[in-house]
Amino acid sequence: MSAEEADSTDDADGEAVGVEESAEPVDAAGSADSDDMPADSDDTPAAANAGTRHTLDGDAILRLRGLDAGYGDLQILSDVDLDVADGEYVTIVGPNGAGKSTVMKTVFGLTTYMDGTVEFEGESIHGLAPEQIIREGIGFVPQNDNVFPGLSVRENLEMGAYILDSVPEDQIEEIYDRFPILRERAGQKAGTLSGGQRQMVAMGRALMLDPDLLLLDEPSAGLAPDLVADMFDRIDRINDSGTAVLMVEQNAKEALRRCDRGYVLVNGENRYTDRGEVLLGDEDVRKDFLGG
Amino acid sequence: MGTTESSIVDSARARPGLLLVVLLGGLLLVDLAAKLAGLSLGPLGGSVSVDRLGSNLWNGVIIGLVVGLAGIGLSMTYSILSFANFSHGDLLSTGAFTGWGVAFLIAGFGDIPVRTLLSVRDAGSASAGDIGAHIVSTPIAILVGLLAAFAITAVVALALDRAFYKPMRDRDGISILIASIGAALIVRYVIQFVYGSDRRGVTASVDASNLAFGPLGLSVNAHELTIVVAAAGLMLAMHFMLQRTKLGTAMRAMADNKDLALVTGIPAERVVTATWIIGGGLAGASGYLYVLLRGTIQFDFGWLLLLLIFAAVILGGIGSVYGAIAGGLVIGIVFTTSTIWIPSDFNEAAAFAVMITMLLLRPEGLFGGVSTA
Repeated sequence: MSAEEADSTDDADGEAVGVEESAEPVDAAGSADSDDMPADSDDTPAAANAGTRHTLDGDAILRLRGLDAGYGDLQILSDVDLDVADGEYVTIVGPNGAGKSTVMKTVFGLTTYMDGTVEFEGESIHGLAPEQIIREGIGFVPQNDNVFPGLSVRENLEMGAYILDSVPEDQIEEIYDRFPILRERAGQKAGTLSGGQRQMVAMGRALMLDPDLLLLDEPSAGLAPDLVADMFDRIDRINDSGTAVLMVEQNAKEALRRCDRGYVLVNGENRYTDRGEVLLGDEDVRKDFLGG
Repeated sequence: MGTTESSIVDSARARPGLLLVVLLGGLLLVDLAAKLAGLSLGPLGGSVSVDRLGSNLWNGVIIGLVVGLAGIGLSMTYSILSFANFSHGDLLSTGAFTGWGVAFLIAGFGDIPVRTLLSVRDAGSASAGDIGAHIVSTPIAILVGLLAAFAITAVVALALDRAFYKPMRDRDGISILIASIGAALIVRYVIQFVYGSDRRGVTASVDASNLAFGPLGLSVNAHELTIVVAAAGLMLAMHFMLQRTKLGTAMRAMADNKDLALVTGIPAERVVTATWIIGGGLAGASGYLYVLLRGTIQFDFGWLLLLLIFAAVILGGIGSVYGAIAGGLVIGIVFTTSTIWIPSDFNEAAAFAVMITMLLLRPEGLFGGVSTA
């Protein structure tokens, strides 16, 4: 994505993007399409309307509606809507404490649910145990401490397929092909690996059941700067092979550059939603959340 | 040479405690050598026969294996359930009484009332010697008793979990620890109620059960050998289970990181159940073996042993299964060899002194920080 392109989308959408309080009705999605979508809008799963429409018209595999959640009595998310279409690459950005990770944990049932719906592939997954959610086809890579340090690389991968009766050797091979360094380090304890390698183990483990949706919480956290681009490339390839990705990233610019759509969350509420490059080009978004 | 010397001096300055321990250990070794040689150098020396040292070490290994076996379960519940289980000692008593009840039943069936046999009493005319429970005369009874001790204690441990610990799963470690003290009291006094509070002999003595090992002058009896074989066998089985099976790997994973295990899809409750079965079962087996070693049984011996088990587990690095075994061996050997220098009334104090010294020098314990297993 070039700077020129980013600028041009900025011009096209500058007025509408980010005006959350604008009078434009949120439900007028169809009519807004022609004006607001950039030229290559047919790539996007559905029309995002001027950055304030947070839902998709078509089928979404993950569908959150009016979600309120938090920890104990403390409410973090309020009325959050979020969709991920099949095969889509969606990223959530926003300032610290915006509730980005809380969205993912709520999908996995790790927070205190308060209100709203969480649907995956058309069925509510609210109240399911994590092992059942994994069975439904969602993989989760938490932030930090996301490998079992005392287990070997191979054992870490095997644990990702715990719910299967036998170890899926072909899937392990596939993950070794995706991350060749893991094949070399198969017998080594995961705790002795570098940060980047650990992140690969964590992703490999989450991919063991070939999920339809992969949740990634800050995959670039703690990585050396020269490894960050490599990590994003790997995520691109995972997405290219058909797995939908929902990612929370501190490195918002890079995340928005690569994703299909982005959600900007502020104070636990939806603020902007649009194609990644549109958000990236928007002046308000850039000023408030991307550091200029 | 200069650099080595200065680095020694530097490290001594940095860790004066370590220097002190090394000096004291060296002094004890010199003293031991002098004692073995029969020399007297002022306060040092005296006389200790090689036989006595050998038998002290051997006894230490046996006690160490029993304590280490008991420590495995304590360490596992600590790492997987995050609390120090004070009812663990009474699981040893549970295993000992139920296991020996079964052993007596098999050894003495027909001659003596079943009720007497099952409650491990030498009622009326039938003494422990008459029942004749011994590995040489009634090997089947002893071995079946060991299996029964494992199985019944596993069931009791699981029942305690369902009754007390499961409802408190999300509470903090201190609350559950205190609940476990309550559970310990319940178990202990149920045992006292059922089996009585008197200390009594359990094993028969059989001639020709002592096997002498020539050059060391070591005399090993058949029960000691049984304990070593059984304890080492159970530890090996444990090692195999942890390293080679899916369940064992899941246990290590949960000990490493419970939250991650949850989102990885490891069914936590099933791992917890297995932990109680294995940890409780090993505690029961070790209680049974402890009675085989001592020859007597008493309702609160497990509770009294618990402090020593804790010492072993902490010394080895709490949470580590291998640390528990290593810690048990160290504690056992210190326990018995310290009698060379101090009266045997104080040997438990020596074991704790070693544990405290260890914690001062290496707070994470022998195997600590290496993560479980």
